[in-house]
Amino acid sequence: MTSPSSLTYTLVITGAPWASQAPQSALLFARALLESGHRLDRVFLYGDGVHLASALSAPPSDETNWPAEWAALLAEHQIPGVVCVASALRRGLVNDTEQKRYELPASNLRAPFDIAGLGDWVESQRQSDRMVYFHGEC
Amino acid sequence: MTTLIVVDQAPYSNWNGREALDMALSLAAFDQPVALLFTGPGVNWLRSGQNPGRIEQKSVEKQLAAAGIFGVEALYADQTACDRYQLNAETLMPGITPCKNPASVVRSHQRVLFAG
Repeated sequence: MTSPSSLTYTLVITGAPWASQAPQSALLFARALLESGHRLDRVFLYGDGVHLASALSAPPSDETNWPAEWAALLAEHQIPGVVCVASALRRGLVNDTEQKRYELPASNLRAPFDIAGLGDWVESQRQSDRMVYFHGEC
Repeated sequence: MTTLIVVDQAPYSNWNGREALDMALSLAAFDQPVALLFTGPGVNWLRSGQNPGRIEQKSVEKQLAAAGIFGVEALYADQTACDRYQLNAETLMPGITPCKNPASVVRSHQRVLFAG
């Protein structure tokens, strides 16, 4: 239950892990807003941000695994993590459905992320009190 | 509530602007009001006569020309940036709304986002 003064947020991440600060800044922001009693409606990965949903990222053991950290936060709080299908297909991020559809040799989408269209982002535009964007290098 | 998407990077060097245009067209497809503001090097999106075939890219000019048909309310161009890049009535594509004060355009929209 959120307080009357709490807000609902959607975070949009367009910067890739290990190429930009976007995923970790967004993670710190998400933790802070949840601790403050606000609600996170959805996390939407777009553009290069889709790499955050890769199940195949394997950084050195002394570095933070940002996709794993994000997946854990989403699972713990049951927050939908949505990956834009057009951005994902261009960059080689696919779930089992898209693997079969395009007859690709493997799938690599990390749970609990899911693939959907920009319609989900439009829905957030309508529903969330705040949309916050985390971009990569410009 | 009209969403304003700001494009401040030149076309063809990365994919950010194209994906921002996809966002604009998606909003329009769901009957959500949306406009685009081009500023800085981003005004080069609006140059007429683009021919990127030699670099095997699709013309952003053609995509933008269809934006109005799909429901994008306005294509604003920062006048100062247009002057810097020598964009005028002869070199701009049709259907552009020049603005001398882009800050006021931003202020008049409740939802503003930059192309990543």
